[in-house]
Amino acid sequence: MNPEAKSLLTPEAVAGAQTKIARLVNELRRVILGKEQMIDEVVAALLAHGHVLLEGLPGLGKTELVKALSRLLSFNFRRIQFTPDLLPTDITGSHILQEREGRKEFVFHPGPVFTNLLLADEINRASPKTQAALLEAMQERRVTTFGETRVLPDPFFVLATQNPIELEGTYPLPEAQLDRFMFKVEIAGVERQVLEEILVTRVHGEPPALEPALSASELHTLFTMVDTVHLPRAVANYIARLVAASHPKSAEAPEVVRDFVKYGSSPRGAIAIGAGARGLALLRGKPNVGFDEVRRVAAPALAHRLVLDYAARLEGWDGRRIVSALLEAVPDIERGLPQTLEAQK
Amino acid sequence: MNAFQASVRSAMRRFARRVAVGHFLEIWPLWAVPSLLLAGLIALVCRMFFPSAAEILVWLWLAPVVAIFPAFIICIARAYRPSEIVALADSLDGGQGLLLTLLETGDPAWTGAPALENFSRRPLPRLRPRRLLWKFLPAAAFLLAALLVPQRVPAGPGNTILANDIAEDLKTTLAELTKRDLITPAEEKKLEEEIERIRKSALERVDSSSWEAADALREKLAANLSEKHDALKWAQESLARYAAASAQGVADNPAHESDIEEIARAIETLSRSGLLADAPADLRRLLGGSSTATSGNVRLATDARSLRKLADSLSTYLAKRSEGLRDLSRLGKESGWFDPSEYPQFSYDRGPDGDGDPGSGGLNRGRGDAPLTWGKESLPFDRFKAVALPPGAVRSPDDWAPVAVLPGAPKASPEIGAQAPAQDYAGTAGQAAWRRTLVPRHRSAVKKYFENSPSAR
Repeated sequence: MNPEAKSLLTPEAVAGAQTKIARLVNELRRVILGKEQMIDEVVAALLAHGHVLLEGLPGLGKTELVKALSRLLSFNFRRIQFTPDLLPTDITGSHILQEREGRKEFVFHPGPVFTNLLLADEINRASPKTQAALLEAMQERRVTTFGETRVLPDPFFVLATQNPIELEGTYPLPEAQLDRFMFKVEIAGVERQVLEEILVTRVHGEPPALEPALSASELHTLFTMVDTVHLPRAVANYIARLVAASHPKSAEAPEVVRDFVKYGSSPRGAIAIGAGARGLALLRGKPNVGFDEVRRVAAPALAHRLVLDYAARLEGWDGRRIVSALLEAVPDIERGLPQTLEAQK
Repeated sequence: MNAFQASVRSAMRRFARRVAVGHFLEIWPLWAVPSLLLAGLIALVCRMFFPSAAEILVWLWLAPVVAIFPAFIICIARAYRPSEIVALADSLDGGQGLLLTLLETGDPAWTGAPALENFSRRPLPRLRPRRLLWKFLPAAAFLLAALLVPQRVPAGPGNTILANDIAEDLKTTLAELTKRDLITPAEEKKLEEEIERIRKSALERVDSSSWEAADALREKLAANLSEKHDALKWAQESLARYAAASAQGVADNPAHESDIEEIARAIETLSRSGLLADAPADLRRLLGGSSTATSGNVRLATDARSLRKLADSLSTYLAKRSEGLRDLSRLGKESGWFDPSEYPQFSYDRGPDGDGDPGSGGLNRGRGDAPLTWGKESLPFDRFKAVALPPGAVRSPDDWAPVAVLPGAPKASPEIGAQAPAQDYAGTAGQAAWRRTLVPRHRSAVKKYFENSPSAR
């Protein structure tokens, strides 16, 4: 047996976890129709303790998804509508001079960041200074004000949304802050059949009533189980090669990366793929991560971490398209079949 | 791989074997193709410079077989590790990662997973021999082309063949003469040395002198035979005359004495030519002892009875030797001499040009197997045609007119004197011609007929 060997989750435990996650996912699918892939990605990131940046046009259900999550998970939920005049203390909280028992003293009033689930709506409309106030909270899950550090509630998730159009008066998120998001989930438009279903089932567009699907303890159990999902060496090697190939100076980088990518993904990208793939594996009822999970989460985990050249915009290349090219160029296993053999389907 | 179920383990072993075969077939051409090219190169070099290797060139087709060994060693060195085999299997099975996980963890709880059962039912990767064949074709074609190149025989070793051929003919003749006791051991040794000298000379260089030397030796043998034949014939004739005289009863006739003398001289000649060397014992005794047969000192008996007995015995012996010599009359002329009767297909009846095809030879166009290059011959209608010249007209004596009238006797004209060297050359031109064409051994024979001195004529 391999010296690194560890025991896998039992089939019963995995099945139980899958049932619970499926309950959550099904409820979300009731709220957001026709967005199964997006829901899977968000739930996978949630199970892996990751923050998610949702990008899509207005009215596609971004905010509704987050609100539904908060209801289903019995989480404390706060929403911040980011505007250009929003201040950092509006997020983190501030000390206010108060009179208490005849004495005046500064009392800390926690900001909306002190919650389990924070919806940062239209995050790109706030100034960079305000956006930066989220950096420490997202990475270290704590807030420091007036020299005092306060730990945020556990779990703490940031689900931010941003609008890819109406860019006037917006402040694009800096790379450092984008890197804090495990996934950037792009929400595409809805199909005709989904629209038809929405019209029939929702008179005023209001979502269905939801009951909590997962308790806090169940969620913590799921978090623990996700960390136990096995990541085989060969799969880890695949992730490493993928991330290495995203750098234009890498020997394994495909031509499209050399042409259009200025800077490749940080190691956080590889960690995000691994963690997201673990969450997705558990969602699929597997005790281990496979190549397929890696391929599935590579785009939301890597696309926003690539710094593209201006030529990429001119040629119509975005991060997701480049990640697709990466997935085609980098084989999942380092040493493939001999050329004299042909796999049969 | 013990973490897998028996069915999965068995499928994994089959898969590993198939991958190993595919891996070998991937590496083998990398060695086999260069080996075929190298074999083709070797074949080409042998075709150009090493005729002796022609018979073993076909074994070069085994070059790809030899290349199996280095390919096998490299296959072992670069063999797929078990983890790589399982990763391959997992990737082909959809990238579920469960095979890899079980290999690493060995957790028995998941050995019965449906994904593993799917793998055991999965068909093995298919071998693609056509890809292999395409790699081999150009190299194999090169080797085939190299083997089809005609073998080039260098000019050097040809001398050996020709020299041995010349010597072999002479040795055959010599052996025949020895077999029939027509030459003495001393002559045989001398002839053998001469044949060897001719052979060595031909080894260094084969030209007309080599053939001439061989012809000269053959001629010498023929002359020796002819001499023996003459001596034998003379002896037979003298014995016949003696027998005729004895039959007429003219024993006291002085002419009869001269016949006996002639017989004695003929026997001496026979003895010198070696024809009496193997004479029977009774004949030797009648000739006056064994030394007579070799030394030539003949002491004939004086009484008529002994003489008649000697004549009878000698006649019988000579008749036997005569038959042997008659069989060998052509000996020494069989090889190297052109005999038109040996080539009936080139008879004059078919025209001077043989059958008219270039290269087929003809009696007046060299040997039949010689390459003939005639260039572009004129077509019949292009050939020179006879053109009748205008008839000549005798000039009238009236046209002559004296240029000058000089007093006194006419003197030698300087123009006539200037022609003298040409006349001298004309006198020796014939001599120069035969000197160039006759071989040295013939010069002495014909020299006397061309001597300028009056005494020689």
